[in-house]
Amino acid sequence: MSFTVVKPGLETSVQDWPGRYGYWNQGFPPSGPMDSWSFRLANLLVGNAPGAAGLECQYMGPTLRFDDAAIFAVTGADMQPTLDGVPVPLWESVAAQPGQVLAMAFAKLGTRAYIAVAGGIEVEPWLGSRATFHKAGIGGMGGYAVKPGQTVPTGAPATEARAGRRVKAEARPVISTDRRWEIEVVAGPNDDWIDAEGHERFLSTDWKLSGKSDRTGFRLDGPDWTFTEKAMNKAPEHGSLPSNIIDQGYPLGAINLAGQTPIILVNDGPSMGGFINPYTVPQAAFWKLAQSKPGEVYRFRAVSVAEAQGLARSLSALCSEASIQS
Amino acid sequence: MNLELNFMAQGLAAAIAEARIKGVIETAPCFASMLVHYEPELIGFDDLSAELAKLVAGLGPSDALELESRLWYFPAVYLDPWTRACVDDYIAKIAPKTPDPELMVELNGLRDTDDFVRVHSGTEYWVASLGFWPGLPFMMALDPRAKMTAPKYNPPRTWTPGGAIGLGGASTAIYPEALPGGYQIFARTPVPIWDRAQRFAAFEGSICLFRPGDRVRFVPCSVAEFEAIEREVADGTYQYNMVGYGKFSVALYKSWTASLGEGRRS
Repeated sequence: MSFTVVKPGLETSVQDWPGRYGYWNQGFPPSGPMDSWSFRLANLLVGNAPGAAGLECQYMGPTLRFDDAAIFAVTGADMQPTLDGVPVPLWESVAAQPGQVLAMAFAKLGTRAYIAVAGGIEVEPWLGSRATFHKAGIGGMGGYAVKPGQTVPTGAPATEARAGRRVKAEARPVISTDRRWEIEVVAGPNDDWIDAEGHERFLSTDWKLSGKSDRTGFRLDGPDWTFTEKAMNKAPEHGSLPSNIIDQGYPLGAINLAGQTPIILVNDGPSMGGFINPYTVPQAAFWKLAQSKPGEVYRFRAVSVAEAQGLARSLSALCSEASIQS
Repeated sequence: MNLELNFMAQGLAAAIAEARIKGVIETAPCFASMLVHYEPELIGFDDLSAELAKLVAGLGPSDALELESRLWYFPAVYLDPWTRACVDDYIAKIAPKTPDPELMVELNGLRDTDDFVRVHSGTEYWVASLGFWPGLPFMMALDPRAKMTAPKYNPPRTWTPGGAIGLGGASTAIYPEALPGGYQIFARTPVPIWDRAQRFAAFEGSICLFRPGDRVRFVPCSVAEFEAIEREVADGTYQYNMVGYGKFSVALYKSWTASLGEGRRS
């Protein structure tokens, strides 16, 4: 079983969830889908395990030809998918006949769409995961985004895989239409390097997502930061900038202060480095990052660790069979 | 910074792995810190913090630590033509600077570049952590008399030859492949530390050679030897030179460093 890439889209890659865990201390990030909410639901629609390998499409989706009869689903951003020219509903499993072509265009709403195929994509796993990490050229289709002409192998569908399964309206992420997003943040690990004014400024500023953003990091444009004594007056081995610190591990979602530019480290980000991380975006808010576009505005809302983990639990609860109607 | 905090971080990583705390996915010890990745649906932050505090208390003083530590020998051409060409290219196209080996001499009170090579190759290096790029080791000189420092490039280099050996801050690194970079570069090894094709047994199933707590020694070699090893690597016959019978005793290390006098090794 397989499908063939006719057009690759802007940067379409194989991902699985939660990605490549267990190699952080060798420098490997987890990779995986940035909007794991939409990704997991796409898999559930087609009868897969929520983490099975599927495609992440960014900005502009691919054109794919099904080599065999298949059940598939498209979730996340609206890239106006069609099957042989007929519009395909999002958030619903659909049957394709051999030779039928799924075509996707630019994202009309949101930024990242997910395609799950019953049986999941069955490329060779690398270090325990099929997720593509293109910076190192591993995982997915030969280590990189899909290319025209590639045949992508898929597994045997579950017996219950069928068309017409829908995600209930209340279980879908609501993609912002006013170009503004409220993003949860947890203070730390290096919040004590920022002074009180700096914290207040961070939480009361409209931060603009820079065009220089990708699956490695989301850069934010906004005001300069101010620091505590700890950042200004420190041993030289930390480095010369106030935001320099002796190289440390970076948590996923860290808001990394490179000089004066905050960069949210996302799924393909670096595992360590020499800048402070005053805040961290929790996993439960990653879908919002995934669905926002450069030029859109973030306002950050501070939450506790317990609240952030509660949000992740609620999200996981939504990514279940209870959210599907047939 | 001293190495003590890194020894503690690595000792804690080993203790966490041994304790098999439910919900802990992995750890990443760094120079002076420790990252713990856990699944909050299996263990909450407060419970995990309490478990970790117990393990930290149980570690005792760093003197009690004995860490798994393999010793790797890496042939390296110092003052090699490849990093020199890269530095010349940077000077010509991006920014004027003192060439890297000469800058190392100047900043670290050495006599000349030969003196620099003796000092840099005259110590074991401790792999404190891996990161920035998968498998890239951040290493500290274990012999305090060989400790050197250097600033990073500003602006950074757009490319560095794969296998280049460089120093930034107080840490030495090997570039796993051709990458941008900011460390002062002055040597190159033909031996890969990154093996996407997984051809060499020394990688034990990973595609990165090193683990935190490994030690590395650079063995100066000639360009002709470099090229001979490069051919062995290409045809898959190269034998990695690793000594794997030792543990690293922090107490013995500390008593040894305490016995050293002031001044530079030569």
